[in-house]
Amino acid sequence: MLKTGKTLAALAVGLLTLSACGGNGSSSSAKELRLWHYETPDSAMGVAWNQAIKEFEQTHPGVKVKFEEKNFEQIQKTAPMVLNSKDAPDILEYNKGNATTGLLAKQGLLTDLSSEVVKRGWDKQLSPNVAETAKYDAKGVMGGDKWYGVPNYAEYLQVFYNKKLFDKYGVKVPTTFEELTAAMDAFVKHGVTPLANGGAEYPAQQYLYQLALSRADRPWVDRFERYTGKVDFHDPAWTYAATTFADWVRKGYIAKSTVSTKAEAAGTAFMSGKNPMFFSGSWWYGRFEKEIKNFDWDTFLWPGTRMTLGSSGNLWVVPKGSSNKRLAYDFIAITMKKDIQNLLANNGGVPVDADPAGVTDPKNKKLIENYRTLVTNDGLGFYPDWPAPGYYDVLVAGTQKLMNGTSSPAQVLDSFAKPYDENLSNVGH
Amino acid sequence: MTVMARRRTPGSYAVLVSLIVLAVVMLLPFVIIALNAVKTPAEYSSHGPLSLPKGVYLQGLKDFWERVDFGGKLVNSVLISGSVAVLAVVLSVLNAYALGIGRVRGRVSIMVVFLLANTMPQEVLVYPLYFISKKAGLYDTRLSVVIIFTAIQTAFGTYLLSSVLSAFPRELLEAARIDGAGRLRILWRVVVPISRPTLGVLFVFFFIWTWNEFFLPLVFLVSNENQTVPVALGVLQGQKMMDATTTSASALLGVLPAIVFFLIFQRTLTRGITVGSAK
Repeated sequence: MLKTGKTLAALAVGLLTLSACGGNGSSSSAKELRLWHYETPDSAMGVAWNQAIKEFEQTHPGVKVKFEEKNFEQIQKTAPMVLNSKDAPDILEYNKGNATTGLLAKQGLLTDLSSEVVKRGWDKQLSPNVAETAKYDAKGVMGGDKWYGVPNYAEYLQVFYNKKLFDKYGVKVPTTFEELTAAMDAFVKHGVTPLANGGAEYPAQQYLYQLALSRADRPWVDRFERYTGKVDFHDPAWTYAATTFADWVRKGYIAKSTVSTKAEAAGTAFMSGKNPMFFSGSWWYGRFEKEIKNFDWDTFLWPGTRMTLGSSGNLWVVPKGSSNKRLAYDFIAITMKKDIQNLLANNGGVPVDADPAGVTDPKNKKLIENYRTLVTNDGLGFYPDWPAPGYYDVLVAGTQKLMNGTSSPAQVLDSFAKPYDENLSNVGH
Repeated sequence: MTVMARRRTPGSYAVLVSLIVLAVVMLLPFVIIALNAVKTPAEYSSHGPLSLPKGVYLQGLKDFWERVDFGGKLVNSVLISGSVAVLAVVLSVLNAYALGIGRVRGRVSIMVVFLLANTMPQEVLVYPLYFISKKAGLYDTRLSVVIIFTAIQTAFGTYLLSSVLSAFPRELLEAARIDGAGRLRILWRVVVPISRPTLGVLFVFFFIWTWNEFFLPLVFLVSNENQTVPVALGVLQGQKMMDATTTSASALLGVLPAIVFFLIFQRTLTRGITVGSAK
């Protein structure tokens, strides 16, 4: 009895302390900029933004940046709730896209940055192709008229290749699509699966979408991603993509056994030298640089196409409830400055306003040059999972069926069309 | 020993073998996690998750510890799980005393309500709880999580304990009543001591369940300084990247307190059970 009483008393005290210290961190004075992002400290963005924080504190004496490294999933799941409360930060990194920034903008939770973007000249630093994912219309669809975010880095897909394996089998780096298939044939002949793949996650659908993009143009992408016109999933581009992808699995360019593996497995298969090529995003770049010790590697853009997958990186957004908007804009301005942009590039990131002259490492330079090639060609084709909520899983299921051969390409394209059209009627297009 | 061995039938060997297999199957994931916990990221990337580490590499873990202030997260988790376990057991006992022994009117329907509350997925609860906690000024406080989980665990505890207590020996209660004990006295002096093993089990379960909770703490503990261990571990799973080696290392760290807690209380549980049976 006595013991229980003691425990209860201790508990009561504990609870009091809990509630007493629970409320802190929520009040925001002009002396503090509350900043959230979810990049790891050793990634290119982590390094560059850390430096930006330092510069910000130097140029704003008396203002402290209260930075919190966030859990990606937490921001994804709770952003609308957090931004609608007094605990919202002054500025945060948030995913670009209709289902994320677009949705928050539509709900009125984000500040319209348009006048600031023009005033500070950020619109001139961002090519129209990159800016598309920063601007949204009243329905929250990207490519709109108002700026709700500012990206300071970009991302795109390229083929990472293992120089050692290319040399070993006497394969030369392909510059045309025919050379690419010839190279893959050569590897298959030696019993090596040329392409790393993860069928349970994004890699498979990115191969598929790249094949479609190689037969597509800008209006095609706009129709698909921005609902500017009717999308025909049985048009030549989609049909070519689905049949070729299924064909590649049959030919052994892509291992059928990767049907249920994850992107992480595809990356490690490339890093361990199992597959000589991996078509994936610049987000792998820093990790490959750090962790591949056994062979030399390099990159090339997908051959024989004007467009490839890519877009701006995540955005800086300013919540409507931010109490230090001016400071938030100042911080964005610093991340757009040349030295921060170059720092990003020198750490294996892709800055939006890149200057190859400011990059020292030759491989990093190539990363930037490839990016500039894409941007000048208006070649960023975005990602296939953007148009509808839950579309990622639809694409995973479809590509898995193609790999297993359980559905014909035409059936799989039908399975893509249905949720797409349902979403269209939901958003009122 | 030899006598024992001779008595073993093929059947008991089969049981032994299947138990060993089961133990291996249960322990294998832990072994793999432990293996990867001490690898360098480069080793993991080039040789895969099943290779043996060349040496013990703990730098990643150290960096992670400092990066997320893991000590602070441990304190939060202990504080939250401990408070929930104690509060939920106390509330469950009080509820179950009324429902199981007191036999209040309509207790069956009340039990059904508790049972339904248990089957409710947490995703359904999120928005109502969010609005309530915001209105009460408790959003982004550890107290909000303590209150929510006390309620959730109590729903289960009440349901379970009510069934247990409805089978409580009536003679004991009557004897106490004849001796002049009031209701409160009967609860604390008769019911609680005799059902201590059950309460102990509930306590351990509540602690570990609350410790492992991810979704609601993720939603309600927004500030980094309020977060629990599972939420902090989520930092390692990025948008496109995962850090397999550090995740393994910190996952081990994260379950360690729960395992230690379980082992400590496991012993008192057994003792509690033997005491109960002696009576």
